[in-house]
Amino acid sequence: MTGKYRSRTLGVAGTMAAALVLSACSEAPEASDYKEGDPHTLTVWTNYTGEAGLAWFDSVAQEFESSHDNVTVKAQHIQNEELDGKLQTALNSGDAPDIFLQRGGGKMRDMFEAKQLLDLTGSAVDSPELRDKLGDATYEALTVDGKLLAAPQLVQPGGIWYSKDLFTTAGITEVPTTVDELAAAIDKLKGAGITPIALGGKDAWPAAHWYYFFALRECSADTLEATNQSLDFADPCYEKAAKDVVDLAALEPFNEGFLNTSAQQGASSSAGLLANHKAAMELMGNWEPGVVKDLTPNKQPLPDLGWFPFPQVASGQGDANALMGGKGGFSCSASAPKKLCGEFLAMMNSEKNQESFYTAFGSIPLHVDAQDVVKNEYDKQMIEALNDATYVSDFLDTNYGQKVGTVLNQSVVELLTGATDPAGFVTAITEAADRN
Amino acid sequence: METAAHVNRDVPDSVRTGAGAAEAPAPGRGRARSRRVRWRRWAEIALLAGPGVVVFVTFVIVPVFLAGYYGFFEWTGYGIPTEFVGLRNYELILTDDAFLEALSHNGFILVMSLVLQGPLAIGIALLLNRRMRGRSLIRVLIFVPYVLSEVIVAIGFSLMLHPTGAVNDMLDRLGLSGVAADWLADPDIAIWSLMMILVWKYIGFAVILMLAGLQGIPDELREAAAIDGASYWQTQWHITLPLLGPTIRIWAFLSIIGSLQVFDLVFVIWGQYVADTAGTSTMATYMVANGRTSGEYGYGSAVAVVIFLISLVIALVYQRFVLRRDTEGALTEGVA
Amino acid sequence: MVSGRGSPVAYLVAFALVGICLAPTVYIILGGFRTNSQIIRSPAGLPEPWEVGNYTGVLAGEVFWQQLINSVLAAVGTTVGVVVLGLMTSFVIARYPFKAKHLMYSLFAAGLMFPVTVAITPLYIMVRDLGLTDTLAGVILPQIAFAMPTTVIILVPFLRAIPKELEEAALIDGASRLGFFVRMVIPLSLPGVITVGILAFVASWNSYLLPLFLLSDNALYTLPLGVQAFASQYSIDTARVLAFVSLSMIPALIFFSLFERRIISGLTGAVKG
Repeated sequence: MTGKYRSRTLGVAGTMAAALVLSACSEAPEASDYKEGDPHTLTVWTNYTGEAGLAWFDSVAQEFESSHDNVTVKAQHIQNEELDGKLQTALNSGDAPDIFLQRGGGKMRDMFEAKQLLDLTGSAVDSPELRDKLGDATYEALTVDGKLLAAPQLVQPGGIWYSKDLFTTAGITEVPTTVDELAAAIDKLKGAGITPIALGGKDAWPAAHWYYFFALRECSADTLEATNQSLDFADPCYEKAAKDVVDLAALEPFNEGFLNTSAQQGASSSAGLLANHKAAMELMGNWEPGVVKDLTPNKQPLPDLGWFPFPQVASGQGDANALMGGKGGFSCSASAPKKLCGEFLAMMNSEKNQESFYTAFGSIPLHVDAQDVVKNEYDKQMIEALNDATYVSDFLDTNYGQKVGTVLNQSVVELLTGATDPAGFVTAITEAADRN
Repeated sequence: METAAHVNRDVPDSVRTGAGAAEAPAPGRGRARSRRVRWRRWAEIALLAGPGVVVFVTFVIVPVFLAGYYGFFEWTGYGIPTEFVGLRNYELILTDDAFLEALSHNGFILVMSLVLQGPLAIGIALLLNRRMRGRSLIRVLIFVPYVLSEVIVAIGFSLMLHPTGAVNDMLDRLGLSGVAADWLADPDIAIWSLMMILVWKYIGFAVILMLAGLQGIPDELREAAAIDGASYWQTQWHITLPLLGPTIRIWAFLSIIGSLQVFDLVFVIWGQYVADTAGTSTMATYMVANGRTSGEYGYGSAVAVVIFLISLVIALVYQRFVLRRDTEGALTEGVA
Repeated sequence: MVSGRGSPVAYLVAFALVGICLAPTVYIILGGFRTNSQIIRSPAGLPEPWEVGNYTGVLAGEVFWQQLINSVLAAVGTTVGVVVLGLMTSFVIARYPFKAKHLMYSLFAAGLMFPVTVAITPLYIMVRDLGLTDTLAGVILPQIAFAMPTTVIILVPFLRAIPKELEEAALIDGASRLGFFVRMVIPLSLPGVITVGILAFVASWNSYLLPLFLLSDNALYTLPLGVQAFASQYSIDTARVLAFVSLSMIPALIFFSLFERRIISGLTGAVKG
C-alpha cells in the first residue's frame, strides 16, 4: 500500500513536471496576424512610475486610440529595478507585452538571439523622415544584423553636474577642462571644507561611470568599438583608465560613506547630497536635474546647477569630443502586430510628443525640431555637445552585456576600496569575457 | 502523579501507551472488517491531507524541480535553455572564493542567531507569561518588528546606520562622537550590524513561538514545585525549560533554515556589489549577483540548488540527532 | 500562570525591550512626517516643520484604499487556506499511522529550503498554465503553498502532543478519528493554529515578489506593490515611502493584536486528565 502510494505520487509529479518542461519549451512566439480594422489591445510596459511620466504616456495613448479604430492601449508601469525581471519571465512564458522598454546593448542581443523581438525595419518608425530627425546614429545603436530591433527614444549623455555656488565659495572661477584642473578644483573645495564629489558607490554603476569616462578619454573610438564586439581588453588604455580611477580616489574626493550611498534612492543618496549643497560635483547622466529637484528643500529645481563635460586626459587617445550616454528605446515582441507597433512608436517620437516628453522628464529631445523647446542652459550645452560629438558610446556595461558588465562594475568598486589594482582589474574583466 | 503521563511527550507513543494500541484493527470480525477499516483510513488521509499536498506540489515542488533543471545549463534567461553544461556550474560554484566566503557568513549568522535569539526569546516569553499590567500591549509592541516587511526594515536601517545617518548623528548630539563608526562599510563591524538587525527583526517570531509553547505547560507542575520549595529559577530550569524543549527545537530548526536564506535585508542595505567588500555577502546575494544580474540564469539556478542541498544536509543531521524525539525521526527511519 | 505579580524589574526590562523594538519603527513613522531634504540635513532630528502632506497624500488617494482591500483579500484568503489545509495535513502526519508520513513530512520540510527568487520563473509558467495570472487567486494559492512548510513544521508537534487518552476516549465513545479531529483536535490546537495563522497573514501582507510577477492589472495590486508609485526610474521619494509603509503596517498589527490573546488562553484546563 505504501509503495503504491509513493510511486503514484511520484508518477503524478513526474508527468506534471514533464508537461511543464514541454510547455516551457515553447518555440519562438508566432508572428501576429493582425489586419487593419481588427480589434486589438496594445499592451505596453514602461518604467514611467512617476506622475509626470504617467500623464505624458496617457496623452500619447489617447492620441493613438483616437486615430486607430478598434484599438485600445493598455499600459503597465513597473518600477525600474523590477522591470527587467518581470519582462524576462513574461518573454519566456509567451506572455510578452506588445511594446516594452528596451535598454539595448547585450540584453537586446540576448533577446534577439532568443527570437523574442520584432524586426521593425520598414515600419512607420523606420521612415526616412524620422530617421533624419532623430539621427541615424541612434538607430544604428539599436540595429543588429541589419535588423532594427527597437525604436530610439532618448539619449542621456553623461557629464559632471556641479553647484555653481559652492564653486564660487571655494574660489573656483572656471570649470575644469582637464583632469589636472579637476584635481586642483578638488583641492580648493577640500580647503573650503566642501565635499568635492558625491558618489553613489552602493549601486556600483555610479562608481563605474568614472571608469567608463576615463576609458572614453584614454581609448580611441576604434578601440572602443572593437572591444564592443570582441570583448578583448588587451589594449593598455583600459589598464591606464583603471589607474586614472585609482589616482582620483587617492585624492579622497568622495563623500563619507560613499560605499553605502545609493545614487538616487531618496534622502541619503548622492543626488541628495548635491541637492542640499553637501557636495559640489557628481558625474551623472542627464536625468540628474529631475532627481535633484525632488530632493531639494523646497522641491524646486536647484537654481545653481551647472554642467560641464568630462575633463580631458592629457595623454589619452580618445576623441576630444567623444560623448557617452545611455541610448534607450522601445522594442516590440515578436508576436506583436508590426504595423500597429511601428505607428505607436513613431507617434511617441513625433515632434510634439518629444517636446512634451522633455517637459515631463527633463530628458533632452532626440527630435531635432523639438530641441528648440529646451531653455535650460545645461540642456543647451548638452545638445550642443551631442551635436558636435564625433563619437557617442553607450555606457560600457550596457555594451558588454550583463555578464561582463556586472563584473566590470563590481571590479571598479574593488579598485576604490583597494581590494584590487589596475592589473588585477583588467584580469578580472578579461576572465569574465572569456567565460562568455 | 497522574499528570506525569501527560507530560512525557518526548517518549514515543508506542512505548508510552503500549505497543501499537491505536493501530490494531478492531478485534474479532476478521479480514473483511480490517480491510474496510484500512480502506476507510486511506480515504480519510486522502481527504484530509490531499488538498494540502496537491497545492504544495503544484506550486512549490514542481517549480523547484524545474529551477533545478535549469542548473544544468548555461542560459541567458531568454528563450529556452539550450546550452547543456552538466555539472560545470556546480564545479565553478564550489571553487569560487566569493561563494565560500558567503557560505562562511551564513554560518556565522546561523550560529549567532541561535545563540543570541534563543535565550533572549525564552527570557522574554517567561517575562510576558506573568501577570502584569499592559501585558497584551507589550506583546503587540514587541511583535512590531516582525510585522514590518524586510524591505522597509532595510530602508529604515540603511538611513539610520549610514555614516551620515541618524545613529551617528544621535551619538554626536550626545557627545559620544568617538563611538561613531562606519556601521555598514567597515568589514569588521558590518556583519555585527547585520546580526543586530536580524535579531531585532526576528525576536518577535521566536517569542511568539515560545509563548505558544509555554501555554502547554500546566500550572500544577509549577505549583507542585513551589510547594516542594523550589525557587523561581530552579523551577524554570528543571521543569519549564525541558517541557519547552520541543518548541525550542522547532524554533531552532526554522531559525537555521532561515539563516541560510538571508537575502532581502542584505540586498537592500548593502546592495549586491558592496556586500562583498563589507563582509556581509550571503549565499543568496551571491546567487542573485552572479545569476540574474549577470544574465546567467543557469548558474543562478545551480547556486539555488546548492543552497537547497546544504540546507537539506543540515536539516537531515538536525532531524536525526535533535528532533527525533519529537517527530519520531521524520526524515530518517525512527522509532515506531 | 500566576508566577508573581509584575515586579519593578520585570517592568523595567519590558520597558527597555519595547523601547528597542519601537525605536526604529518610530524613526520610520516620523520619517513620513519630514521631507527628503530634512532627512538629509538633519538625520536624527525631529520633523520640523511637521509635513502632514505625505500621510494625507497617501490617504486621500483612492489607490491606497484599493490596494489595502486587495491586500486584505489576499491575506485573509491565504490565512484561511493555510490554516485549513495546514491543520488537516498536519493532523494526518501527526496522528495517522502510515509509512508514507515520513516522506510527506520531509516533502514539506524540503520545500522550505529552496530560495524563492529562483523558483519564480517556473512558478509563473505554472500559474499561467492554470489560467490564474492576473487574479488574486493566482497569488493566494502559491502563497498558501509556500506557507505550508512552516505551518506543518509548527503544527505537527502541537498535534502530537494531544494525549492518546483523549483520542482513545473519543474512539470508545463511538466517534471516528475524523470526528475526533473535528470535535476535539480543532479546539485543542488553537494556540498553534493561531500562531501559524498570524505568521501566514504577515507573510502574505508583506509579500512583494510574487504579486509583482503574477499581477499585471493595476486594480489588483497589493500594498507592497503600491510603493512603486513613489519610486520612478531615477529617484525614490523616501519620505513618501516611509509614510506609505507606516500606514500599510497598521492592518497587520491590528490582526495580530486581535488574536494574540487567544494563543494564551487556548489550552488551559484542556489537558488535565
